[in-house]
Amino acid sequence: MATLPAGDDHANPPRAVPQAQAPGDDFERLRELLVGDERRELAAARARIVELERMQGNLPQRLPEAAIAALREQGDHPRVSAALAAPVAQALGTAVHNNRQGIIDALFPVIGPMIRRAVSEALRGLVDNLNGAIESSLTLRGLKWRLEAWRGGVPYAQVVLRHRLTYGIDHVFLIERASGLLLHHAAAAGLPPLDADAIAGMLTALGDFVGDSVGSDGGALDAAQVGESLVWVEHGPLLNLACFMRGVPPAGLRSLLEQRLEDIHARLAALPEGAPLQDLTRDTEVRERIDPTSVLREAQLALSADPAAAPKRSPRWPLLLVVLLVFGALGWQALRQWRWNQRVDALRAELAAQPGFVPGAIESRPWRSLVVHGLLDPDAPSLAPVLGRADLGPATVKLAVTGFVSADDRVVELRARRVLQPPPGVTLAVQEGVLRLAGDAPAQWSAAALARAPLIAGVRRVESTLGNALDPRRVARAALSKAIAEASALTVEFVREDEPEAGSAAVVDDLAAKLRSAQAMAQDASLSLALRSVGSSDESGADATNERVRALRARWLALALAARGIAGISEADATLNPDPTRRSARVQVVASDLPQ
Amino acid sequence: MSAAAFKVCMLGDFGVGKTSLVARYVRSTFSEKYLTTIGVKVDSKEVLRAGREPVKLVLWDIAGRNALDTVAANYLRGAHALLLVADGTRESSLASVLDLLMQSRSVLPHAHAVLALNKQDLVGQWEVGPATVRQLREVLPVLETSAASGAGVEDAFAAIVAGLVP
Repeated sequence: MATLPAGDDHANPPRAVPQAQAPGDDFERLRELLVGDERRELAAARARIVELERMQGNLPQRLPEAAIAALREQGDHPRVSAALAAPVAQALGTAVHNNRQGIIDALFPVIGPMIRRAVSEALRGLVDNLNGAIESSLTLRGLKWRLEAWRGGVPYAQVVLRHRLTYGIDHVFLIERASGLLLHHAAAAGLPPLDADAIAGMLTALGDFVGDSVGSDGGALDAAQVGESLVWVEHGPLLNLACFMRGVPPAGLRSLLEQRLEDIHARLAALPEGAPLQDLTRDTEVRERIDPTSVLREAQLALSADPAAAPKRSPRWPLLLVVLLVFGALGWQALRQWRWNQRVDALRAELAAQPGFVPGAIESRPWRSLVVHGLLDPDAPSLAPVLGRADLGPATVKLAVTGFVSADDRVVELRARRVLQPPPGVTLAVQEGVLRLAGDAPAQWSAAALARAPLIAGVRRVESTLGNALDPRRVARAALSKAIAEASALTVEFVREDEPEAGSAAVVDDLAAKLRSAQAMAQDASLSLALRSVGSSDESGADATNERVRALRARWLALALAARGIAGISEADATLNPDPTRRSARVQVVASDLPQ
Repeated sequence: MSAAAFKVCMLGDFGVGKTSLVARYVRSTFSEKYLTTIGVKVDSKEVLRAGREPVKLVLWDIAGRNALDTVAANYLRGAHALLLVADGTRESSLASVLDLLMQSRSVLPHAHAVLALNKQDLVGQWEVGPATVRQLREVLPVLETSAASGAGVEDAFAAIVAGLVP
């Protein structure tokens, strides 16, 4: 390659001028005439290539300064930024993909504060809500809200928020972050006018002052509160959103304001390149996003649509189960108590009916123990059977009684039996204090009993019909009475008219033996016996026929007895039918005292 | 649509009359106590222009100082214009405000600047000489104002508007 001159000569190389004639000069001159211009252009091109190579070699050293200078000079026309945006984004994506840890290390100082801020915002909202819930949970108002939540089937937190949502948005300012200039101001209806530009500026100045004075990590003024007036400031990369409120707004409103500021930032992309930020306020959607009424409306909708706070019916079955169990337990206890009381009352009534016992207080521990107090006569019947029938389950029953003397007739009778010890054949009864003695008893016992009976407690008077159990005539009369009864019970049955049934002979034999014995006893008892044969018939047939049949049957029995040695039997009047259901005959025996 | 708004920051040494100038120009919403608390007071003024759209000036009256600290530098952020105020009777205040102008250029390299030489009513006591004023006028618009009489105040703000919206 030929050596080229330096400096400006590259751009304007001097024309070649022959210095002396030499052999071959003609050829050189001819070549100059033919391709001189092309040779010079070629030389210039070579020089340019060398210069470009040299500049390219210096590019790594020159590039940072060149980029800074280009960015500084671009002014309001970010051509360089626009040109670099795509490759920088692509390079950043590649770097994230290939060197993730390096990116993480580089972003760590940024991510930390961001996360802390997000967490602190979330915690602040949580604490606000918790404070509200705790402050109201133990008050009468809180209990009322709990009842409302239970009745409405909504979470308690939602009811608390609904009642605490007594706030209003007075002003919303959209402020350019860098300058503090007001881009748009929206106020609730009915508020007096104010110098919104000055307020936006002062708010920005105040935020700068607070941030520079006490802020760290780029922190800024997020909220300020004086009494019930509250200012929330949401910070974006280019814009700030300031919201002036009254009352106690829910924490969710803060998220809504953040979201609206993000939406407004997203609308920045719709601005023409280089347009001032103030043009953003021409966007009706932006103006709508910061309208206080719209913000309030969306806050209410967000609260009601919050899935975490969505009305969900609390499962009532546990509460109902508990209530059911409580009522069941109470009902069971009441039923047990009722059954116990019923049985104790029944026992009290039965004890009160017991002779010789006056019930007093009853100490009762349901189904555990029972102590019966009262007055008890020693001669009264035992109370054990009554207590045994009481059916008091596992309860232990005790008697705590005091002795007394009862005037109850039944107890007096028991007392008289204990005192007199009556022999068999003697009956003893007490009625209204009168002791009646009857029957046959040895004369010695009777005399002693009649002497002691008036002294028995409860006996006012004694009446005695006692006989001498050792009198032979009385004994004979008693035996005769029994024999007469046995003989009168024997009957002879007939098939028809005076034709007896089979086996009648044995009956007649037995009857004859008893009559014979009775006649013997009658002599010992000093009584005379009159025997009369009586016939009976059923009522079918004519009366005259029946009368004749009855007479035949009486005759037949009298003859049969006479044949067996029993004489003197008369026949009863046949017009009478003493047993109209049977076709029979029997003997009537009438005893009478012998004439003195 | 509302008028275009411009942020105007007022810079100057202590006692040069910045707040008095603003008081002459606008009816303040905020008390002057903010100047001694957070170091700035903001007011706004809509400027009507014959046959043209009105503009709104948002005036940031930054508390008097002879050097920019971090807080004041933040207050300057995003400003479209600077109203430099110096006391004609104190030449040192002129040096201070020019020094502040130089310092503010690191934050606001292209902001339009207007110099108000205040206390024009005391012109007999001025330390700033006419030659100095002439030299200053070659660099930036210079107006002589009097917060006491109101002379030149409207003109100073009009000069700012003219620089912002030619």
